[in-house]
Amino acid sequence: MEKIAITGIGVVSPSGIGKRQFWANIKSGRSFIKEITRFDASKYPAHIAGQIDDLEKYSHISERLLKKIDAFSHMALVASELALQDAGIDIKNEDPNLVGIFLGNAIGGWLYAETELRDLYLEGREGVSPYMASAWFPAAPQGQVSIYYGIKGFSKTMVSDRASSLMALGYARKVLYKNKLNLILAGGMEAPVTPYALLCCNTYGALSTRNDDPQAAYRPFDKGRSGFVIGEGSGIVVLENIQRARSRGANILGFISGYGTTCDGVDRINPASDGKELARAINMALNDAKAKPEDIGYISLDGLAVDLWDNSEIKALRLVFADALKNIPVSCPKSMFGNLLGASGALDMIIALLSMEHSLIPPTLNLDTPVLRDINYVAKQAREYKVNKSLIVSRGRGGINSALVVEKGSI
Amino acid sequence: MKDKVKEVLASLLKVKIEELKDDVSLQNSIGVDSTEMVESVIALEKSFGVKLNIKEITKNSTINDIASTIQSKLAK
Repeated sequence: MEKIAITGIGVVSPSGIGKRQFWANIKSGRSFIKEITRFDASKYPAHIAGQIDDLEKYSHISERLLKKIDAFSHMALVASELALQDAGIDIKNEDPNLVGIFLGNAIGGWLYAETELRDLYLEGREGVSPYMASAWFPAAPQGQVSIYYGIKGFSKTMVSDRASSLMALGYARKVLYKNKLNLILAGGMEAPVTPYALLCCNTYGALSTRNDDPQAAYRPFDKGRSGFVIGEGSGIVVLENIQRARSRGANILGFISGYGTTCDGVDRINPASDGKELARAINMALNDAKAKPEDIGYISLDGLAVDLWDNSEIKALRLVFADALKNIPVSCPKSMFGNLLGASGALDMIIALLSMEHSLIPPTLNLDTPVLRDINYVAKQAREYKVNKSLIVSRGRGGINSALVVEKGSI
Repeated sequence: MKDKVKEVLASLLKVKIEELKDDVSLQNSIGVDSTEMVESVIALEKSFGVKLNIKEITKNSTINDIASTIQSKLAK
């Protein structure tokens, strides 16, 4: 399958809003994990997160619209606008029937939902906002982005737990390849820093409870790992066919060249311990990209910081890359700002693009003592390294595996 | 009455009072959507203590229309 050009980046994250601010913080290896302040979370076993406090400052969304939408749609609208600006695209000049939206998220818009459900039980049905029905559900951001820009082309929302946004990017490429559309806004958004969503994440049992030292809590692949930390935000990119991107003189920031996905089929929550199906997904992505394992210059890890997940991820990499693995730098930058669940893959891909552009690989924080050795971890601080092709790994509960290959752009 | 109707709607829908015109429909002045209409009817009912029907107050109603509908209900 043909490569697809990435021509604009929009990022809304605890590590910064807009790609310049985001990259400055990512390359410096600064942690943005802190105690949750949005509500009193002190009684939750895990009450730390990557939280966005200044979205309004960057937002172009009216108060009239804000009261109708959940935070995850708001983040998607801001990220979409940033991506379009970065790509130099004015949607008014596009054929709306040939623009699409492919976004992923895992949990929907719970801040809106839980607030209104509380009012339903306290005040009865008249206490519930009529927007509740259209604000909470996972496809709401797709709808809001389409309304905002008048986009009318083939679009989809992917819900595949934490693999959702990487899957959205993979499918968006397929649709562009088939020439059904001119351009696609693709990526994901997630807003899990809410009382009920945080409760669900706590119930899952995989969150780090190292509340006394938030910045040290998320430690993927480290001996002292104790689970992950949630984060909120959105990563959305503009995808176009290469010919179109070149003919309009766009800055091509990178290319999506391969995608693969498989299911483990072993457990409701956990992945298979052998990593074989993840390895198959990675091989599918490499074959799709016409890349050999040794062509990959950087691997962005899923890194849940849970024994079974981390170990099976490394097993999969060993199955695919064998001896070549020790030469390939790997890292899990989400340790700096939290795991954005369904939006995590999109953020990882954006980081990989920026890493290739700047020849600088961002670190995994808190990786003091790797559990599995002989892996070329980039830990604690960024490493200068020239990369032309990167592999992104993103996985979801129930054994969802996805892998994407991105290549350096033409800047 | 008209001013109070405008205040209720402006505060509910987060629009400026000046955008609501006495003799222009809600559709044409602020481009109200159907869900905003449901909200508006409920808010007007609460504010004026009257029972309103969504068929009586629609997207095509002007501020004058809404005020006179409420006025006539209050007079009964």
